[in-house]
Amino acid sequence: LHNVFKSDFLFKFLVIGNAGTGKSCLLHQFIEKKFKDDSNHTIGVEFGSKIINVGGKYVKLQIWDTAGQERFRSVTRSYYRGAAGALLVYDITSRETYNALTNWLTDARMLASQNIVIILCGNKKDLDADREVTFLEASRFAQENELMFLETSALTGENVEEAFVQCARKILNKIESGELDPERMGSGIQYGDAALRQLRSPRRTQAPNAQECGC
Amino acid sequence: MAAENSKQFWKRSAKLPGSIQPVYGAQHPPLDPRLTKNFIKERSKVNAVSLKNKKASSFHEFARNTSDAWDIGDDEEEDFSSPSFQTLNSKVALATAAQVLENHSKLRVKPERSQSTTSDVPASYKVTKSSSDAQLSRNSSDSCLRNPLHKQQSLPLRPIIPLVARISDQNASGAPPMTVREKTRLEKFRQLLSSHNTDLDELRKCSWPGVPREVRPVTWRLLSGYLPANTERRKLTLQRKREEYFGFIEQYYDSRNEEHHQDTYRQIHIDIPRTNPLIPLFQQPLVQEIFERILFIWAIRHPASGYVQGINDLVTPFFVVFLSEYVEEDVENFDVTNLSQDMLRSIEADSFWCMSKLLDGIQDNYTFAQPGIQKKVKALEELVSRIDEQVHNHFRRYEVEYLQFAFRWMNNLLMRELPLRCTIRLWDTYQSEPEGFSHFHLYVCAAFLIKWRKEILDEEDFQVQWFCDGGQQCSGGGLLENADPPIYECSIDDPERLLTLEEL
Repeated sequence: LHNVFKSDFLFKFLVIGNAGTGKSCLLHQFIEKKFKDDSNHTIGVEFGSKIINVGGKYVKLQIWDTAGQERFRSVTRSYYRGAAGALLVYDITSRETYNALTNWLTDARMLASQNIVIILCGNKKDLDADREVTFLEASRFAQENELMFLETSALTGENVEEAFVQCARKILNKIESGELDPERMGSGIQYGDAALRQLRSPRRTQAPNAQECGC
Repeated sequence: MAAENSKQFWKRSAKLPGSIQPVYGAQHPPLDPRLTKNFIKERSKVNAVSLKNKKASSFHEFARNTSDAWDIGDDEEEDFSSPSFQTLNSKVALATAAQVLENHSKLRVKPERSQSTTSDVPASYKVTKSSSDAQLSRNSSDSCLRNPLHKQQSLPLRPIIPLVARISDQNASGAPPMTVREKTRLEKFRQLLSSHNTDLDELRKCSWPGVPREVRPVTWRLLSGYLPANTERRKLTLQRKREEYFGFIEQYYDSRNEEHHQDTYRQIHIDIPRTNPLIPLFQQPLVQEIFERILFIWAIRHPASGYVQGINDLVTPFFVVFLSEYVEEDVENFDVTNLSQDMLRSIEADSFWCMSKLLDGIQDNYTFAQPGIQKKVKALEELVSRIDEQVHNHFRRYEVEYLQFAFRWMNNLLMRELPLRCTIRLWDTYQSEPEGFSHFHLYVCAAFLIKWRKEILDEEDFQVQWFCDGGQQCSGGGLLENADPPIYECSIDDPERLLTLEEL
C-alpha cells in the first residue's frame, strides 16, 4: 500500500524501560493497530519499522524494541548507539517501573546520540483504577529532564501513534532549525530515497539492486 | 573439560559405521541444489583423500563422520543427492504433507493401547482426552499449507500451530500404524530400559535419532543423569529427589515476598502468563503455579545467574514430556485438574531436576553479561564464515550482526523459532550428545540459518542498514523482521529435515 512512498528520512528509534511495561505492545499497536494480548517477553532486541507522514514529509522509523530485564542490559545497550529518538516507557500502575526511569535516562543519554529526543510514555493508561503514579508527578519529572510526555494505552491505542509522531516531529524540527545535523555520524538520521539522492551514502552504490525494486 | 569432551566426541565418530552419506544439516540443507552439488564434489574429494590426515575438528569432518548416525537401523536407504531429490519442490512437499494429514485425520481411530511401558507409571493411570483432535488436524494443515516465504507484516505474528502433537507421536495416536522397524526400535528401548543396569552409551546411541513417545519420559530422566542406570535404585532415587524438591519449597518458597527475592519473584510472576501464551495448558492456574515454584527455587539456588527471561521456556519441554506419562492425547489442551496431587507433584519435581541438569551445562548463558551466549554467537559466525561464505558475506555487506538474530537462538535454545513438539524431538538428540545444549546446539543453529539461505540471500533490506528499501517497507523487509514468519511457519517436519532426524 505504501509502496509508492519513498521516505525522506530514516530515524533510528529505541523503546526502553522496565520489563512488563508494555514496550513490545506499544510497538505492535503502533505498527499493526492492534493489541497483542498473547505477546511473549522480548529476548535481546527485536525490530519493527513503519513509515509515517509528519508535516508532509515521509519518515521511516526503524524501531529497536529492547528487552527490559536487567540481565539483557549488556546486550541491549550495544544497540543504543546512534539512536535519534526513544520512547522511555513505564507502567502507571507500577511505581517500581517509574522509579527506574532515572537509570534508563542516564543510559540513553550516555550511550545514544547526545541530542537524542526522548518521549516519556506512562503506559497502561486504561488501568486507571490501579494507578500508582499520577499524571502530575510524571509530567513534572518529564519537565525537569527535558522529556516530552504522554500517557498511553497499548490496549486501546490511545496516544500510541501520537507518541511516535511527536517524537519524530521534534527531531524534524531540530533538523530544520539546524540544531541537528543529519550528516553527522551517529545522529541516528539518514536521508531517504526520496530526498537528495546525491547525498546517498556511498555504500549504496555497492548495492545497486536495492534501487531496482519496483516502485 | 568442555573442549576435551568434544574432542572425544569427534574421535568417537571413528567407531560409527558406514560410508560417507549425504546429510541434511548445516552442510547440506535440504532442497538446495547448489549445496547438493558441492556435496557431490566434496564426496569425491573425500574418497580421494585419506581420512587420517584430516583435522578432526573441522565442521565438514564432523558432518561427514556423524552423517551415518541417521541411518542406524535404517532399512530403506535414500539417496538424497539423486536427481529425484533435487527436483523435489516445495509444492510437491506441501501437497504430500496435506495428503498425509488428511489420511491421518481419517485414520484417527486409536489402535489398542500400547503394551505395558517401561515407564514408572502403571498404565491404569493414563487419562485420555482428545476433545480437540479435529481442530488439531485443521491447524496442522493450515500451518503446513501456508506459504512459508510470503511476506508477513513487519512484526512477527506466531501462527497457531499445534505445538505438542503430533508428528512425533503418531505411533501413539493411531495413524500411520507402527512399522516393523518402529516396533523393533521400541522393543530395543524397552529392553535397554528394563535391563538391570541400563547401558547409557547404548541408550544415547538409540536416542539420537529420536526417542519413541512411549518411553521418552523415563529415557529423558536417564539421559539427563537424574535417574540412575541401575533399575533397583530408580524408585528410591525418584522418591528421595522428589521429597528433596518439596523440602526446598517448604523451606524457601515463602521467602518470595521478602525484600531480597522480590525482584526475582516479580519477574517470574510476570513472565509465566507470557510462557507459550497460545497453548491452553500453560494458561491454567495450577500449571502456572508449578512453573513459578520451579523457577523461583532454581533461581534462588543459583544466585550467579538468577532468573533470566528465557529460562521459563526451558521448563516446558520437560513439563510436557513428564505430563505425557499420564495423558495419551492432546497434551496441550489437557486440563491438569484431572490429575491427582501425587502425579502433579511428580511432574513438578522431575521437571525441576531435569531442568536443573540442563542449566548446569549452560549456566554461563545467563550470568552477568551472558558470556556463554557471546561466545557461542562468535563461534556461530566463525562457523558460518567457513561453511557458507556467501551467506556470511551477505551479512557483512548489509551490516547484519550475528548477535542481532542469534542472541535469541542461544538464549532460548531456538524454542521461540520452533514449535514445542519439534523442540522436544530436538532435545532427544541434545540429551544424547555430550554438551548437546551448548556445543551441539551451535551446529543446529548453523543448520537452521543455512536452511534459510535462499531467503537471506534474496534479502537486501535487513532493517539494520540505513538504506531505505525499495517498496518492501510495509510488507516487512528484512531478515530480522522477517525471519520470524518463515521460521515460525516451518512445516511440521522441518526440524526433521533440518537435521535429517528421522522419526522412528
